[in-house]
Amino acid sequence: MKILLSWLKNYVDLKGISPEEISVKLTMAGLEVEDTYSEREVYKGFIVGLVKAKQKHPNADKLSLCTVSDGEKDYQVICGAPNVQENQKIVFAPIGTVIPKGQFKIEKAKIRGVESFGMICSEAELNISDYHEGIMVLPDAMKAGVPITEALKLNDVVFEIGITPNRPDALSHIGVARELAALYNKSLSHPKIKLKESKNSVNKFASIEVEDEINCPRYSSLVVRKVEIKESPQWLKDSLTKIGLRPISNVVDITNYVMHETGQPLHAFDLDLLAGNKIIVKSTKEESVFTTLDWKQRNLPIGTMMICDAEKPVAIAGVMGGANSEINYSTKNLLIESAYFNPSSIRRASRALGLSTDASYRFERGTDPNNTLYAAQRAAQLISEICNGEVASGNFDVYPKKIFPIEIVLRYKTVERILGYEIDDQRIGEILKSLGIYPKEQNKEEIKVAVPTFRPDIEREIDLIEEIARIHGYDNIPTISKIAVTLHGRVDESEFADQVRDIANSLGFFEMINNPLVSEKLVSYRENPIQILNPQNIDMEFLRNSLLPTALSVISRNINSGEKDLCLFEIGNIFYKNSTEEIKSFGDFTESQKLIFIMTGRANNKEWYSNERFFDFFDLKGLINSFLSKISLDNFLNDSYYHSGNNLYEFLLTKSLVNKVLGEGGKVKKEVLSEFGIDQDVYSFEFDLQSLMKIERIDKKFIEPGKFPKIFRDFAFIFDNSILSEEILVHIRSEGSVLLKSVKLFDLFEGESVGKDKKSLAFSLEYGSEDRTLTEVEVEKDFTALIKSVTQKFNATLRGK
Amino acid sequence: MLAKKIVSVLENFRKDSSASIDLKILEEIRIKYLGRNGLVTNLFEELKSVSKEEKPALGKSLNSLRDQITSKITELKQNLTSLLEKEKSHIDLSLPGRHKQLGSNHLLTQTLNEIKSIFRSLGFSSIEGPELESDYYNFEALNFPKDHPARDMQDTFFISKDFLLRTHTTPVQVRIMEKHQPPVRAIMPGRVYRNEAVSSRSYCMFHQVDGIYVDTDVTFAELKGTLVAFAKQFYMEDLKYRFRPSFFPFTEPSAEMDITCYLCHGKGCKVCKYSGWLEILGCGMVDPNVFKMVGYDPEKYSGYAFGMGIERTAMLKYGITDIRIFFDNDFRFLKQF
Repeated sequence: MKILLSWLKNYVDLKGISPEEISVKLTMAGLEVEDTYSEREVYKGFIVGLVKAKQKHPNADKLSLCTVSDGEKDYQVICGAPNVQENQKIVFAPIGTVIPKGQFKIEKAKIRGVESFGMICSEAELNISDYHEGIMVLPDAMKAGVPITEALKLNDVVFEIGITPNRPDALSHIGVARELAALYNKSLSHPKIKLKESKNSVNKFASIEVEDEINCPRYSSLVVRKVEIKESPQWLKDSLTKIGLRPISNVVDITNYVMHETGQPLHAFDLDLLAGNKIIVKSTKEESVFTTLDWKQRNLPIGTMMICDAEKPVAIAGVMGGANSEINYSTKNLLIESAYFNPSSIRRASRALGLSTDASYRFERGTDPNNTLYAAQRAAQLISEICNGEVASGNFDVYPKKIFPIEIVLRYKTVERILGYEIDDQRIGEILKSLGIYPKEQNKEEIKVAVPTFRPDIEREIDLIEEIARIHGYDNIPTISKIAVTLHGRVDESEFADQVRDIANSLGFFEMINNPLVSEKLVSYRENPIQILNPQNIDMEFLRNSLLPTALSVISRNINSGEKDLCLFEIGNIFYKNSTEEIKSFGDFTESQKLIFIMTGRANNKEWYSNERFFDFFDLKGLINSFLSKISLDNFLNDSYYHSGNNLYEFLLTKSLVNKVLGEGGKVKKEVLSEFGIDQDVYSFEFDLQSLMKIERIDKKFIEPGKFPKIFRDFAFIFDNSILSEEILVHIRSEGSVLLKSVKLFDLFEGESVGKDKKSLAFSLEYGSEDRTLTEVEVEKDFTALIKSVTQKFNATLRGK
Repeated sequence: MLAKKIVSVLENFRKDSSASIDLKILEEIRIKYLGRNGLVTNLFEELKSVSKEEKPALGKSLNSLRDQITSKITELKQNLTSLLEKEKSHIDLSLPGRHKQLGSNHLLTQTLNEIKSIFRSLGFSSIEGPELESDYYNFEALNFPKDHPARDMQDTFFISKDFLLRTHTTPVQVRIMEKHQPPVRAIMPGRVYRNEAVSSRSYCMFHQVDGIYVDTDVTFAELKGTLVAFAKQFYMEDLKYRFRPSFFPFTEPSAEMDITCYLCHGKGCKVCKYSGWLEILGCGMVDPNVFKMVGYDPEKYSGYAFGMGIERTAMLKYGITDIRIFFDNDFRFLKQF
């Protein structure tokens, strides 16, 4: 919201206080000044210029070649505006000035072969109005060379303030002035109302009826007759323009002005366009269409509160007036509406219509129900002064249940209990009073106060404490440097995930974080994805139900930017519905934490010490086993292999606990990769991280390292190709004696020398004992027995003998 | 007799040591002559049995024999060692080492871990909650009434009428307080979603850390103390700070914490929008309405809460100007940290 310094000064004395200080003071009181524009700064360097001569640009039909004088020197300036003429006084932007609109700096330029040394400005370029059809023409009396800040009296300051939703009282100049008065301990003065009323009573010209008293607790109204609708005076136009509003006509401008002055939204109806000269406030009983004053058709849902005349709706209450009763240049008689509407009713209407206006913004935050008549009178007074209107005597004021200030008891002790710091009772009283919160009763322990109705946010003791802290200054509350230690068990729920991350790092994997909002295509590999009702766009319409598709997108992007060797992991949640039904409870969907490892490209680069090698299935398998051993799960899970795999993977590997699959992965299928534009092999594995965490580990026990020497034996056999290496390993382990400590497969060879459909596998066996040095003889005995057993069991041939 | 033997041992040694030898053979020679059963050692044994008259002269020549052999072996050893060094120097030690790739955590994880470790040292637990939340936990229990403009502060993605993607990690506060009686001291990191247009400054998904501490006698002064201690550890020791009044439905009084811009040291720059201050977090005293929702007695307990965005924090700390870089997962970005 924009607040004008000169406007504020109408209500509070700010002499001797700099704009910078005001800005800090407001910010530190919770009205955050996000930006300050000082006109002196914005228009620095701009001067009144005289167009001494105008010629056609030699190379462009629509451009003029002007000679602009600053009173001393002449400048050649190219201008594109149709209204530039000789002997005009204009706003000249010399080289070095910065055009307010768009913030571009004027430099010497060559336009179609001719040099230009500055610019003649339009009102739009100067942010003075949005008029951009031609340049701004100044009165002839202005002297060339005079800074425009002087000539046009541009010495105001605009504060851009971010008002939090709890502070509707500050959405006006009087509201901000009230805050400054409290902060500087000054008095606040409201404009005095002096109405010259005619003899004719309002009742003679109109009548008001409120059907919906719940949503419209108060409706105040005045009638002004015989107005002249025309352009507003300059001061009014300037005030509105500087806070970003477009002047329209005197009456409309006055209603806007009073809204920004008092915070009370007003609407003026053309009384002669109101059928029966009647206003009825009621809610729609059926769906209907209504044309608002911006000439847009709006679909009104049932229950929308409307302002109607005897025949038809004329405005959407609190949101926007209708085209059918709008003030126009032939309007003579007015009805000024100043109402208090129930905030949530206006908010519902505004949301249902997708229409937010300055009025609805204020009403839905809560206006002051006890300020409606004042604002209407203030507008009537300005209309009578500026538009020569005749104010009918009296007013309409439908206010069946008066809303009184609420009373709150504040215990001084609570202030200290919450803030950790004692503020003097007297100071508390002063602060509250400065905010218009008056004491009703008080004693040593507590004070009872009445909260004015313009502060709907103050309802409880704690709200008063915030006001006291805010005005007293948060900086004046001490920053203590000792904290109490609580001796309760500390937990860290992300500990396991963090451990997993560290392991992934040590295995050479980089962490990625992907947006779980994805397109429909990326959720098509699994069932029952969850859809966003109000997505930003179709690329972010679903919640991912697997980590793989987003990871493939990352791989694809990286390959395109030249990074082809990638080891990535991610820990993230996936989501899916438990049935096709709509989600009504936490039982209707699943959110679970997953871990994905994904790798592609080269396992080894070509180096001086090695040849290049690409990742294959066994890299993935080894990685997964290393990972599981680091989280103490190496002997818990069962492997299964499927050559043809599923819809995502071939060479599918699954890891299960009993019958529950906790992780799966393999070589991502070519068809899937091609959907992502990837033409190199990708290996990936996805775990259910929560399940891995929950598996109960067996506590590790110390095993004494063996003291006695080990004995190693190797053998190699030729097997049929169909025999799985794992079967052989399992067999050797189970057939070997207790002395056999471990078996390792160390060589695989296929080729003509071993025969067709045959393979040679070589194993290394480690023998040892905890309590003695083994003899060659006892090892030999076991070894020979194993050779015999393997040969018989697998129909294998021992090699090398 | 012994004198002859001395001469013959010396001659043999000369023969042995003049042959082409390496360090291993040299060691064998040393053992052969000087070892416990070596030829020279044995001669010293024989010396014990010669007559008193002969002993001094023979002893002298035997000592001289031992010294000659010892010094010759030392000399040969040095020669051989330096020869070996020369051979070794043909290996180019400046060749690149065999590469072992280590991965790294995402910059956001690293930033979060830094934040976590500071709060861990202050006695905070770390608790997580669901990203797909109910309207109740995300809004109602946090004192955002239905049809209240405060809901506009957080544009929401809806899944169904009553379910949504959480817009902040604050709902986890409610979940913790529902489960535990005070004292409660925890931070709640996690992912949140806002239906805001994607730009260099904002993304539809980001990460937050919320914190809460509830007990008897928890005060605003303690809130300030704790957060200042955090900011000093995380940003810089000699920072200036300020607390400004603000508004969050779930805290009262509410504040925003600013620190001096550490890029311009408060002079004003593009990052701090020429104000000299950077907003780093929102905080306040837990609103009594929230306590009522979880069944805590606001007359007995008080507490503070705070929340900060991790992306924003990391952007400030590492000079990143476009938030989207975090979620592009460009390998060249991931490798940098």
